[in-house]
Amino acid sequence: MLTIFGDRSDSGFCDRLPRRSFLSIGGLAMGGLSLPQILQAESENRKNPSPGAGRSHKAVIMIFLPGGPPHQDMFDLKMDAPREIRGEFKPIPTNVSGIEICEYFPRIARMSDKFNFIRSIVGASGGHDSVQCLAGRSDKDQPQGGWPCMGANLSAVEGPVHPSMPAFVGLAPDMGHKPWADAGQAGFLGVTHSPFKPSGPGKADMVLDGISLDRLADRRGLLSSFDRMRRSVDSSGAMEGMDSFSRQALGILTSSKLARALDIQQENPRVRERYGKGIPGNVADGGPRLMEQFLMARRLVEAGARCVTLAFSRWDWHGGNFKRGREDMPMLDQGVSALVEDLHQRGLDKDVSVVVWGEFGRTPKINDKGGRDHWPKVSCALLACGGMRTGQVIGSTNRLGEHAKDRPVHFQEVHATLYHLMGINPKTTTVKDLNGRPHYLVDSQYGPMKEVI
Amino acid sequence: MFTTMKTQYILTIVFAGLLLGSDSPVDANEFTSLTVGPPGNDILRGADARKQLVVTGETADGWALDISSGASYECVPEGVVKIDSRGFVTPLADGEVVVRVAVTGQGDKPVVGEKKLKVENYVDQPVVNFPNQVVPIFTKHGCNGGGCHGKSGGQNGFRLSLLGFYPTEDHEYLVKEGRGRRVTPAAPGLSLLLRKALNLSPHGGGKRFGEGSYEYRIIHRWLRQGMPYGNTADLRVERVEVFPPQRKMPKRSMQQLSIIAFYNDGSYEDVTPMATFEVNDKEMGEVDLKGRVQVYDLSGDVAVMVRYQGQVGVFRSTVPLGVEVTDLPEPRNFIDTAVFNKLKLLGMPPSKACDDQTFIRRVTIDIAGRLPTAAEAEAFAVADAETRRDRAIERLLESGSYADYFTNKWAALLRNKKTKATYELGTFAFHDWLREMIHTNAPYDQIVRNIVAASGDLQSNPGVVWYRSVNKTEQQVEDSAQLFLGMRIQCARCHHHPFERWSQKDYYSYQAFFSRVGRKKNPDGLADAERIFHNRGKASAKNPRSGETLSPAGLGGKPLDLTPDSDPRQALVDWMTNPANPFFAPALVNRYWKHFFGRGLVDPEDDMRVTNPACNPELLEALAKSFIDSKFDLKNLVRTICQSKVYQLSSIPNEHNVRDKQNFSRFYPRRLNAEVLYDALNQVTKSQGGFGGVPPDTRAIQLPDAGQKNYFLTVFGKPMADSACECERSNDANLAQSLHLLNSKEVLGKISNENGRAGLLSRDDKRTEQEKLRELYLWFYSREPQSEEVNLALAHLGKGEKKAAYEDIIWALLNTKEFLFNH
Repeated sequence: MLTIFGDRSDSGFCDRLPRRSFLSIGGLAMGGLSLPQILQAESENRKNPSPGAGRSHKAVIMIFLPGGPPHQDMFDLKMDAPREIRGEFKPIPTNVSGIEICEYFPRIARMSDKFNFIRSIVGASGGHDSVQCLAGRSDKDQPQGGWPCMGANLSAVEGPVHPSMPAFVGLAPDMGHKPWADAGQAGFLGVTHSPFKPSGPGKADMVLDGISLDRLADRRGLLSSFDRMRRSVDSSGAMEGMDSFSRQALGILTSSKLARALDIQQENPRVRERYGKGIPGNVADGGPRLMEQFLMARRLVEAGARCVTLAFSRWDWHGGNFKRGREDMPMLDQGVSALVEDLHQRGLDKDVSVVVWGEFGRTPKINDKGGRDHWPKVSCALLACGGMRTGQVIGSTNRLGEHAKDRPVHFQEVHATLYHLMGINPKTTTVKDLNGRPHYLVDSQYGPMKEVI
Repeated sequence: MFTTMKTQYILTIVFAGLLLGSDSPVDANEFTSLTVGPPGNDILRGADARKQLVVTGETADGWALDISSGASYECVPEGVVKIDSRGFVTPLADGEVVVRVAVTGQGDKPVVGEKKLKVENYVDQPVVNFPNQVVPIFTKHGCNGGGCHGKSGGQNGFRLSLLGFYPTEDHEYLVKEGRGRRVTPAAPGLSLLLRKALNLSPHGGGKRFGEGSYEYRIIHRWLRQGMPYGNTADLRVERVEVFPPQRKMPKRSMQQLSIIAFYNDGSYEDVTPMATFEVNDKEMGEVDLKGRVQVYDLSGDVAVMVRYQGQVGVFRSTVPLGVEVTDLPEPRNFIDTAVFNKLKLLGMPPSKACDDQTFIRRVTIDIAGRLPTAAEAEAFAVADAETRRDRAIERLLESGSYADYFTNKWAALLRNKKTKATYELGTFAFHDWLREMIHTNAPYDQIVRNIVAASGDLQSNPGVVWYRSVNKTEQQVEDSAQLFLGMRIQCARCHHHPFERWSQKDYYSYQAFFSRVGRKKNPDGLADAERIFHNRGKASAKNPRSGETLSPAGLGGKPLDLTPDSDPRQALVDWMTNPANPFFAPALVNRYWKHFFGRGLVDPEDDMRVTNPACNPELLEALAKSFIDSKFDLKNLVRTICQSKVYQLSSIPNEHNVRDKQNFSRFYPRRLNAEVLYDALNQVTKSQGGFGGVPPDTRAIQLPDAGQKNYFLTVFGKPMADSACECERSNDANLAQSLHLLNSKEVLGKISNENGRAGLLSRDDKRTEQEKLRELYLWFYSREPQSEEVNLALAHLGKGEKKAAYEDIIWALLNTKEFLFNH
């Protein structure tokens, strides 16, 4: 059975659930594949990867941390600051001499040579939304239709890797706070470039409900007999487009490449263990803590997605900052380190970029609830793979972690860097809005970070 | 390639052999004569002057082909000019010269032609004119484009005016900025300006030209002369001429262009190598940096936009298919005449006329935004064959569905969206009012006047609701121009329009019409229902660049002197609706043409400019004239279009017109719009929409709120009324659409509903299965099923439970392209 994690909203109370709650898709009884069969399937996949999948195209995985993670408690500990500011966490050394990060990221610390820690992200508009990270642009003075996010831009500029695999997939589920659930807007590029959301409002469409597989196969046969209109009639390619997506949709319902990519049960159990077992269900009005989605993202990218976005937990800790940090940081640590290690082991590290960030940082002074409040002045980000130069810290904040002291990095510089790593020149590539006016992918004053490329 | 013997002509293999493809209609050796163009303008002034010749060979069967790159050239006497193998002339000394051109013609005999040229003022090292000689170099090589130094803020600390529109500023930036570090007059080759351009100093833009090039020499000399601005401050380009302006070209052939710029002092100059060229349809051809056009394999029209120093010109090429067109149907109206003439010229035979079932479905979708009912389809099939098509058109035009559908179309463009709860009254009132206007066939100019020049409260004059959604002056300017004039003038808000002749002065003069729009709280206290009125005062707007105060002027029109009491918006509508206005009627007829044919005569339909010409200008002109003559009668326009034989052509291609995309030799199928598709789904399954806030039987095309959210509609690309562009509607396929159609609870529920079509048909035991299937086919496709289809369905029905079988059949039919597309 193909399973997709994460949806607890229609399952009732947690007590009554089995340890995992699943959405069942399709009806193939594939749960019982043995390890040799899995390995054989995997090796066949490696021998004959689908055209354009896996190693031969570039991709981005963007992990959004809803709520604004505390930059001074993660990768930029301020041990010189007074007690009211530096907090409870202690730094640990990493495998890059001179870089120290929070003690709750031990796995990342052991492989920090594969990461870039940006400590001086600036330019946040201060709103609680994923748009800040996904599109890097303010929501004021938008062109008609709105700004497209990075995934939509990639979908429009590069197109899909092959016709039946969506270029842009958004794994963030519905959340209580809607702007966090936004997996990316297509803006003026139009609905064709919206992310395909396996857990979005159309998620129920992926479930066969009341129709058996046999009946679906029957219907499929009827359809191909009745559907006689020749494609030569169409000069615009619209018919072919619909056919292609129809095939893929039917494939999802009967298990296909996209479906297989989403089905992490097919992955080697040891690999799954390395990513760790997440906790399904959203954290309050935020996102789920499912490191399995990181694995899913890797599989989607291998299957041909160019951009995968997902959201992890809820970091808006106005109270109990350190209690929550002790819960979530190790999980993030496990998931991100597993993803980066996995990409390296599979030889995808040159082709797939990973970025982990939130919409702003948090206040230096800890409030009376033991939490930190919103602080748009500065925040942090993690970059890895993509063929970057890694093992460095970029930028720094002042002693109290209040503002960027040197090398402020704007959200759009990170975007420009990611585009550059994908082989797209953000300074010359344009997309047209609804008025026919060309727009560059990032604002003209931002370019790729020279430290990294 | 010129000979040393004065009287000997070189007989070379004509380049035409390479020029023309193997299935070209022209035989290589058929030249009967040649002419050397462009005609006139044959003086080269100064040592920097240059000239591009265009050599045209005429053939026995009437083709005029470009052979500039394949002819042999000889200069008599030598030493006055030199000429390269592409016909590009550079002067060497003062004097007169005859350029003799030869080519192999019929029967291997030489065909010759000649052109007299004169070189004057050949002074060594003339003084460089900065705006007319240096700035074009920056434009040609992309230095001052929007991606580099031309953007506001420049690039890496160096800025130039966008596309060289303000040369005085450019001179200042280069010579005075940065303490003059960019120029070194004492040693010009060491200037940063040149070192960067050659990439001798690291340059983000790389190497733009080489050390021996013309550009290098001009800039080098300019530097050595002390960076003069120019001897005449006012000498500027008034217009550019493109030679030839149009040509019929065989497939895969080439055409060299020659561009001449005319200055305001009467002088002229060949600027071919410095002009920028751009093709309007990249699938049809390309153009190189020296102005040589290459067309590919597709037949049709392609245009090349030529730009130089803020002026534009266009070259139009027609690439015929060359098939003999013998049995064209008799034209019904001027649309047929214009289209068939074009098809004859192109040699592209049209497809046959469509059959009646196709027609009734197609015309009902296009006029009324819905599928015919089974009864309508049946009645049509048995009605009088001579008159039934015309009568169907009339019936549909009178129906409420026509009003619904076209109101739906306009309301989205007029941004009639219930953004907040308090907007509801206004949104519904505007929708109602607009529908009434369309249903009663109010003249189009009256409708526009009641929107653009609307004053009052929405309770009594709902047209003012437009001013609620479009509340900033720039939006009013840009939306009204895009919607009613078919022009995107947004670019000119901040700088001279890059593709058109509109300057900021034009933009702000147009904006002056909207400078006295007053708003007051609604006297009845309704929220978000402001009263719009003319704020007494003289209408004017300030050009932010020059500081000049501008009177209102229509685009390309004269500035108007209006009294403080007169509403300038009325003057704007007067200018728009004047029969002499070159934009208003063409914009509307083009928009409606696109509605019925899927592609405008100008495409995109709201980007009508000189540099984006119509694929059939005669037709566009005729349609506009007919529309104006009818006093802006919209129903008559629809009638004329739908009655034409062109509209009634089949979509099935013949062996020749499969790839035709712009000549309307057949109907181009397109997917049903989201609202139409949703209503069609409900109609065939006999279910309802279920939209909030409106009666339950409301159809999707009837929704008053253009921004109403609904998953089906969104995923199939319904626009959210966020812009004045029809391009906001997206009919492209995507995965979510397919999943929804194939497997959503919504769609499956409609199919399996007890009282839906499947349920009703399965429970009907008074009729045979064949009769029921016939009805089903009439619902879906407005036609009878063929016997194969009947057998297929009967076989399936025999398998098991009746209702489930009908559901399966309906599911399958719903997903066929014949259903989903308007063909």
